[in-house]
Amino acid sequence: MATVSTHAFRRLAAVHGNRPLALAAARFHSGRPSHVAKSPAPRKDTPTYVPGGPILLGTVNDPTTFPPPSKSDGSHHWAFERLLSATLVPLTVSSFVLSSSPYPVLDGLLAVSLVVHSHLGFDQIVVDYLHPRKFPILGRISAWGLRLLTVGTLVGVYQFNTEDVGLTELIKRVWQA
Amino acid sequence: MLALRTPGLRLALRRAGAANTSSRLRPFQSLAPLQRSVQTQSVAPAASEAILNAQRLRRPSSPHFTIYQLQVQMYMSIVNRATGGALSAALYAFSLAYLAAPVVGVPFDTAHIVEFVQTLPEWAKYGAKGALAFPFAYHSISGLRHLTWDLTKMMTVKAALRSGYVVLGLSAVSTVGLMLM
Repeated sequence: MATVSTHAFRRLAAVHGNRPLALAAARFHSGRPSHVAKSPAPRKDTPTYVPGGPILLGTVNDPTTFPPPSKSDGSHHWAFERLLSATLVPLTVSSFVLSSSPYPVLDGLLAVSLVVHSHLGFDQIVVDYLHPRKFPILGRISAWGLRLLTVGTLVGVYQFNTEDVGLTELIKRVWQA
Repeated sequence: MLALRTPGLRLALRRAGAANTSSRLRPFQSLAPLQRSVQTQSVAPAASEAILNAQRLRRPSSPHFTIYQLQVQMYMSIVNRATGGALSAALYAFSLAYLAAPVVGVPFDTAHIVEFVQTLPEWAKYGAKGALAFPFAYHSISGLRHLTWDLTKMMTVKAALRSGYVVLGLSAVSTVGLMLM
């Protein structure tokens, strides 16, 4: 005599091909019963949802853009800045220790290092307080004006070191005046 | 009827009642006069950014900078930047003045500078030495502290506070030493 359970069991067996393990698993399966038809395929005229996109641009609600990542603007710039600051320590100390007699090459190295270090520092100040994103005209003028001034300072420092006594000698004389 | 108590709708209701010839008001008949007309305004799409920025300026922002208790590390950081900027500005000004002096006609070289400094009174000499020595000493020693951070050392609050006090002490001593040279 067929009970309800054996009837269901026979139907499951028909679907899973009488494999014993699959049958046993199918009895405890918590998913949809196999005799229920699959849900209909989604309509083609509605766009498929893509998680995270697509993003429509061109409105005022666009997110802020970031500059493209570049090592020369990022990690190399940072490393150069720190290395230059580190080399300024032995440069100034040796210029001070050897200040009794003039050393033009050391003066030249010190002057160039100081000017480049100053330029990097000023550039950081301009980027921090006068960023082109917020100050489109003034920020750009400041950045390029700084570059112009740095070039002028390099020329002036070169002229001073070659025509005149040099930076360390000047400081020594002014200090002892 | 509740609608009769609503201000502003009485006139509209009177108009609707006058237009209705039958004694009973059929449901949903001439509801248009009962709604208030909304005023709209055409704005060019290019004005949307200006409107958005104007609106953003009106929005409140939660207090941040004004409520945080100022720490000594904050002061030291901005003083580090200020001293560096001042020294660099002096270097730039000196170099550009040296270049511009022959053009302008003002004599500006080592001999003239030393001569000028010799004419200054003692207090002015010490003042100028201090004004140059303190930024140099502070910026150098604080710069060393910054370089240790770049090597990811001493990055706890306690270490930053202690190293900060060390920097302050050393720069004070160095300033006095440089002024006495």
